Amino acid sequence: MTRAIKRQDRLTAYAFIAPQLAGTVAFVLIPLVLVAWYSLHEWNVLANTFTFSGVDNYRQLAEDPTVPRVLRATLLFSAGLVIVNLSLALLLAVLLNQKLRGTTVFRVLFFSPVVVSLVAWTIVWRFMLQDNGGINSFLDAVGLDGPNWLRSGGTAMAAVIVVQVLKNVGLNMVLFLAALQGVPPELYEAARTDGANAWTVFRRITLPLISPTILLTSIITVVGSLQVFAQIAVLTEGGPGTSTTVLVYYLYQQAFQFHAFGYGATLSVLLFLIVLALTVVQWQLRKRWVFHES
Amino acid sequence: MKLRAAIASIVLLVSVAACGGAEQGPVTLRMTTWSANEAHVRLFNQIAADYIKAHPDVTIKFDALPVDTYTTTLTTQIAGGNAPDLAWILEGSAPDFVSSGALAPVDDAIENPSELAPSATALWKQDGKLIAYPFSTSPFGVFVNTDLLTQAGQKLPTGADWTWDNAIAVAAATAAKTGKQGLVPRDFDYKDWTNLAPIFDGWGAQAWSDDGKTCGFDQQPMIDAMTFIHQAIFTRKAIPGPGVAADFFAGESAMTITQISRASLLKDGKFTWALVPLPAGPKGTYSVIGQGGVGVLKQGKHVDAAKDFLKFFTGDANSAKLAQFFPPPRTPQLTADTLARSNPLLSKEQLQSVVIDGIANGVVKPSHANNAQISQAVRAALDPLWTADAEVPAVLKGVCTAIQPVLAK
Amino acid sequence: MRAKTTAYGILLVLCVPFVFPTWWMVTSSLKPNADIFGRSLWPSHVSFAAWHDVFTMQPFARQYLNSAYIAVVVTLGTLVVASMAGYAFARIRFRGQNALFLVVLSGLLIPSEVTIVPLFRIFNSLGLIDTHWPLILVPIFGAPSVLATFIMRQFFITLPVELEEAARMDGLTRAAIFRRIALPLARPALGAVAIFTFLTSWNLYLEPIVYLSSKSMFTLPQALTQFTDPYQGQLWNVQLSAASMTAIPVLIVFVIAQRQFIEGLAHTGLKG
Repeated sequence: MTRAIKRQDRLTAYAFIAPQLAGTVAFVLIPLVLVAWYSLHEWNVLANTFTFSGVDNYRQLAEDPTVPRVLRATLLFSAGLVIVNLSLALLLAVLLNQKLRGTTVFRVLFFSPVVVSLVAWTIVWRFMLQDNGGINSFLDAVGLDGPNWLRSGGTAMAAVIVVQVLKNVGLNMVLFLAALQGVPPELYEAARTDGANAWTVFRRITLPLISPTILLTSIITVVGSLQVFAQIAVLTEGGPGTSTTVLVYYLYQQAFQFHAFGYGATLSVLLFLIVLALTVVQWQLRKRWVFHES
Repeated sequence: MKLRAAIASIVLLVSVAACGGAEQGPVTLRMTTWSANEAHVRLFNQIAADYIKAHPDVTIKFDALPVDTYTTTLTTQIAGGNAPDLAWILEGSAPDFVSSGALAPVDDAIENPSELAPSATALWKQDGKLIAYPFSTSPFGVFVNTDLLTQAGQKLPTGADWTWDNAIAVAAATAAKTGKQGLVPRDFDYKDWTNLAPIFDGWGAQAWSDDGKTCGFDQQPMIDAMTFIHQAIFTRKAIPGPGVAADFFAGESAMTITQISRASLLKDGKFTWALVPLPAGPKGTYSVIGQGGVGVLKQGKHVDAAKDFLKFFTGDANSAKLAQFFPPPRTPQLTADTLARSNPLLSKEQLQSVVIDGIANGVVKPSHANNAQISQAVRAALDPLWTADAEVPAVLKGVCTAIQPVLAK
Repeated sequence: MRAKTTAYGILLVLCVPFVFPTWWMVTSSLKPNADIFGRSLWPSHVSFAAWHDVFTMQPFARQYLNSAYIAVVVTLGTLVVASMAGYAFARIRFRGQNALFLVVLSGLLIPSEVTIVPLFRIFNSLGLIDTHWPLILVPIFGAPSVLATFIMRQFFITLPVELEEAARMDGLTRAAIFRRIALPLARPALGAVAIFTFLTSWNLYLEPIVYLSSKSMFTLPQALTQFTDPYQGQLWNVQLSAASMTAIPVLIVFVIAQRQFIEGLAHTGLKG
């Protein structure tokens, strides 16, 4: 290649990445710096003042009795979501991986909530989870007395988790299905001739072979779970009490409902640090946990 | 050459933008309200039309926001540089708006200020200046669906028998007989706990001390009042439980506690009804008022024009018109005769006993600086109360633990 | 044989919570408000009154249009930005390539929720609050499009070198190679990016409720939660009607092109 062409290539490349690069700087990196800067300030909307307040917001963060509860709810939600989501996805994938007729139809059905508008999906569930709603009236029909799902602490968190899992488990299911289909059939045959039962085969052969997919999906699911907002806002508004107030929802409440923007920025810093820590941990795990054939 | 032209046009643009504050040419004033009620809106528009006749370069827009998120939305608009010129302010957030300096003082924009009842303006003054005009000082009363009561063979207790205990008993019996709901504390919905004040004030309970520094939820009067409310919901089934919707004005409940400004919802009511004062509590008779102020925002674009319209909107003549929905703060207008002229739905006795006596002796609903934060904290801490097996004193202690740090600030 | 029956049985039972809500949403929206909490799986008599109310209670057609046009603009914009950046990072060598790629990838690491407060203040100072600009600009150029760029890069990396070399022989410039050779081949990847970008924009909730405050500017998800009468609580049948109208068109497209949707979405890693 001539030098002129190389030069021209380079210019093209810079032109091609310019919009994305500028956007990342303007809408991601600069705001990230600003969020740290704002966390040292107090912005009073009504008085229209923006004043430096040092570490006041961080002191508030340390003393706020709600923060430990919010972190607990966040942890509970993320852990619950990952466990339920991955186990259900794996179960569905294994079932669909049986050579049955009509699996395409089932695949479409299990996947369909993914494309249903998130808020629409959540509204229907809120409707069904009312004390006199669909679920309790069906329970009533078989002689069971259902709880007021969204108004008691334990069931509200469970409901939020389940609604979210049903919405998006189809994605992980498809990934698992692809992984399962990638397991060489010879391995299964060999194991069977050795007399291993189905469970042993699954544990000793299937699980290790699809572990990279499990890791990938768990990363996506955990990071996604930290960003869940609409479901909480529509289903429970963080209640009852603060039992479903996860970090993003608390951040929204402080910044955009109480207009404590400085404190909201401080909570954003906390959220960023958690995501960062998770990413590092997962990279470390990846080295140790994932099965390598060699 | 091009560059110079560009700079010139930028300078021009900036100077035009900077001059935006100067009031020349047509002005559009926006007033945020929390009432989309047709009758209310019709009256506002009529007042605005009268004003525009004399001020043809002004247009006035009433922007009705949902009441449950009203203050949040208003504050977000202010934060977003989209402050309205005039805004209604709920009593709960009055301290925030009055003390922050967000509103322009309106002493010079009120006709005959000496007419204003001191009890009405107390919440809206700072350093002797009137910061917002209390256009509505609306007492809470109990509306009763007498058809439902008759159907259930119940009689509305009167005189000394009109106590909370009896009110709840009648509500429970009517609910049980008719399959409808008993007593609905309106707009409470297990969220806005300040709408329980019309009940707990009867026990002498206070959300916090008068100086706002000490939590009152764990005090005996509040414990007694909340125990009563809890039993009314879960044991006596007189108040619909969490998540059960019942609209009194659609005939779905026997009674409701609400402000008299809601009477207009009964205009084409399909049942007969009565309006009575709040029942007597253990501390005797009492009354509770909710207030709405209207103020001019400093961050609005047309402060002077807004003040001028405020003067017109709240002047004697229009105050009398508004009185059919919103009891005015002007003492000469606070007589049963005057009010009766604009309130065809209510009798003189009702107006005297509920409105005039109510305003004279009423306690205003709780308010505090940092209102949004405190209200949410109380609401979250009260949530455990709304189950059948709740331990009332323990829950109320939890409320104080949650809000005391903010109160003490 | 028995194993098969068991598998079908389990699949059928598991299907219920996935399919029933959609069914319930549509049928309940057709019930009169009085028996909305009834147990019947089909309305005793079909009433479209609530579907009509949706349009009288809010400027719903306008809100529908808002959501649709924002999603289309964001999708097209993202396709352009991400395919160009993805191609450059994958196929062209230039100074600072790795460092710049890392800068861009930071968008994957920083959830948009973290930066919402400063973004609000930035758009506020630009006077763009209560406009659609934040909902258009940030997704096209900011963090949300970084994932698209990453996917496009992964795709372009797999293109055989020979194709481009042949084009070079014919004297095509880089830009021409991208447009005439690489882009047409990238159709599957572009389709996947388009589907997930559209759905992400269509579902956006936090950003609209933060930036928008007037009803005629609202997007669908935001509008759906507003069908409450402050004096009468939830208007379930109206909410469910609006929800049905939001969900059904996308579901129909999904059923028609289910393969593209499933493969596309699963492999682009939509949020869990």
